Amino acid sequence: MNEGLDNGPAIEARGLVKRYGDQVVAVDGVDLSIPANRIYGLLGPNGAGKTTTISILTTLLEPTAGEAKVLGLDVVKQAGDVRQRVGVTFQEMVLDDELTGRQVLDYHGRLYRMGKTERQAKTEELLALVELEEAAERKAKTYSGGMKRRLELARALMTTPEVLFLDEPTLGLDPQTRARIWDYLRALKEESGMTLLLTTHYMDEAEELADTVGIIDRGKLVAEGTPQALIEEMGADTIHVIGEGDREAFVENVSALPFVQAVDVGRTVIQVGVDLGSKRLVEIIAQATDSAFTIQDITVAKPSLGDVFLKYTGRRLRDTDSTQTHHRMLLMS
Amino acid sequence: MAATATLWNKQMRKFLANPEEMFGLLIQPILWVVLFGVGMKSMLSADMPGSGEPYVTFMLPGIVVLSALGGAIGGGSVWLTERLRGIVKEYLVAPIPRLSILMGNALSTMTKSMFQAIIILFVGLILGAKLSPNPLGWLGGLVLVAGFGLGFSGIALSIASQTDNPGAYHAMIMVFNLPLLFLSNALYPLATMPTWMRIGSLLNPTTYTIDGLRQMMFRDPAALAGSDPLPLWLCWGVVLAFAALGMWLAYTTFRKSIK
Repeated sequence: MNEGLDNGPAIEARGLVKRYGDQVVAVDGVDLSIPANRIYGLLGPNGAGKTTTISILTTLLEPTAGEAKVLGLDVVKQAGDVRQRVGVTFQEMVLDDELTGRQVLDYHGRLYRMGKTERQAKTEELLALVELEEAAERKAKTYSGGMKRRLELARALMTTPEVLFLDEPTLGLDPQTRARIWDYLRALKEESGMTLLLTTHYMDEAEELADTVGIIDRGKLVAEGTPQALIEEMGADTIHVIGEGDREAFVENVSALPFVQAVDVGRTVIQVGVDLGSKRLVEIIAQATDSAFTIQDITVAKPSLGDVFLKYTGRRLRDTDSTQTHHRMLLMS
Repeated sequence: MAATATLWNKQMRKFLANPEEMFGLLIQPILWVVLFGVGMKSMLSADMPGSGEPYVTFMLPGIVVLSALGGAIGGGSVWLTERLRGIVKEYLVAPIPRLSILMGNALSTMTKSMFQAIIILFVGLILGAKLSPNPLGWLGGLVLVAGFGLGFSGIALSIASQTDNPGAYHAMIMVFNLPLLFLSNALYPLATMPTWMRIGSLLNPTTYTIDGLRQMMFRDPAALAGSDPLPLWLCWGVVLAFAALGMWLAYTTFRKSIK
C-alpha cells in the first residue's frame, strides 16, 4: 500500500531464531518470503515452531536473531505499525466470553480507534459474513466451538487487515464447520486481496487452502512448494513398506530398480515412489526376499501431502493429538 | 489514553452485567461495617480512649481501605484469568501501549472501590459516624483512596503477571495484604501500639492513606487519630509515590513476562 511495497513480499523473514535460555530452540533459522495475496500454509507437528514463528511475525515475541518484515515493516522496530495493519487469530480460543458477540467486535474496533459509524457498519457486515447475526446479542459463552471460531475470525477481520495470521484456525472443529471456514478464507483472498498465513497440522487443510506449503520441523523449514509440486516429487504412486531384517540391503536394491523414482526411509515406514504401484508391487516384494528383509505390511497409495510430510520429518502427523495441543496452549500464555 | 478508556469501559460493562459480582461488592463492605464495627464498638464501651467519637467513625476509613485492598486483589485475579485464557494476547497484538492495558484494569478496580467507599460512608452515617461538613474533604478522601488502590493494584497485577497458578497468586497476595491492613492505624490507633508495631505502621502507605482520610473526611481529625495527625502533605506524597511505584512494578514485571 505505502512505502513502496507494491512489488515486495507481504511477509519476509531471514534467519529467524527464537531461543529460550540456552537449551530450548523453538525456531532455528527460518526464512520465508510470501508474496501478497497468497495463502501460505505452515505445516508441522506439535512443537515444530509454528506458533512461535507466527508470534514473532505478529509482534508478540521478539526474535533472538534474524529479522522479519510484514508489509515491509520491521516486526521489532515498527511493531506498532505492523499491529495496526494485520489481523490475528490464536490457536486457543481467545474470547472474552462474558461479552456478547457484537460487543466482542465493537471493543476490538475501539482498541484500533475505529470511529463509531465505521465500527457499526463493519460489525454488521462481519456478523453477516460469519453467519452470527442471530446470536449477536447472546454472550459468547453460550456459543458452540464453531461459532466461537467464527466470531474470532470476524474479530480478526474487524480492522480490515492487509495480512491475516491464523494459528490452527480449525483446530477441534467438526468437518462441516471446517469446510465453512475454508470457504470464508478462500473468499477473503479472492475478494479482498488479503495475504493469509495459516499454521495447521491437518494435511487436508493445507492441501485445500494453501497456494504454497512450508513444512516446518524442529524449528526449521524443511520443504516448501505448492502442494501439487511437493506431492509430485514423491512419484506417481507410493508403496509403503513396513518390515524387519536387513533394511539397508533392501533399500539399496529397491533404489536400484529402474522404475523407482524416490525412496524415503522413515523410522518404521519405507516409502517407495514408483510409476505404477499395482504393477510394481510384486517386484518390490521380490527384492525383499533377495535382501533377507521380511515384509510385515505393504500398501499402495496415491501419494498425499501426508507422505511428503513423512518424507521430510520422519513422522506421521496423525500421531499428534489435537485436544492435547489445545490444553497445552491454554496453559502457555 | 483511548485504549485505557476502552478497556476500563469493557471491565465496567462486564461488571454491570454481572449481578452476583455487583451484589457481593456492595454487600461486603456493609457486612464489615455492621458486623465488625458494631461488635468492636460494644467491646470498647462505646467510645475510644481519649476521644469523644464512637469507634464506628474511627474504623470507617479502615474499612474503606480494606475494601480497596480486596478490590485490587479481585483486579489481579481478573488479570490472571485474562492472561491464562489468552485474552491478554488480543490486547498485545493491538496497536496500544502496554501500560494502557494495565491501567484499564487498575482504573476499573479503582472505580469499583469508589462505589464501595461511598456505600461504606453512607452505612457509617446511619450508624452514627460523624463526617466532615466540607464536601471538598470527601472528594479529596476519595482521590486518596483511589491512589492507594492504584498502588496495591500494581502489586496485585505484578504478582498476577508472574504466576500461572491462581492458588499461588492468592497465597502470595495475602503476604502483602495482611501486613498492609493490620500493620497500620486502620483498626487500632497508632498511640496504643507497641513501638515495633508503630515503626512498622509508619513504613506502611496504608497508615498515610487512613490518616489523610481521617483528616479530610471526618470531623475532629486530631482526636480521631488517637494521636497527633501526620502532616497532610506527607500523606499525599506517600500515597502518590505508592501509586506510581505500584504501577511501575506492574509494568516492568509485565514487560518481562511477555519477552
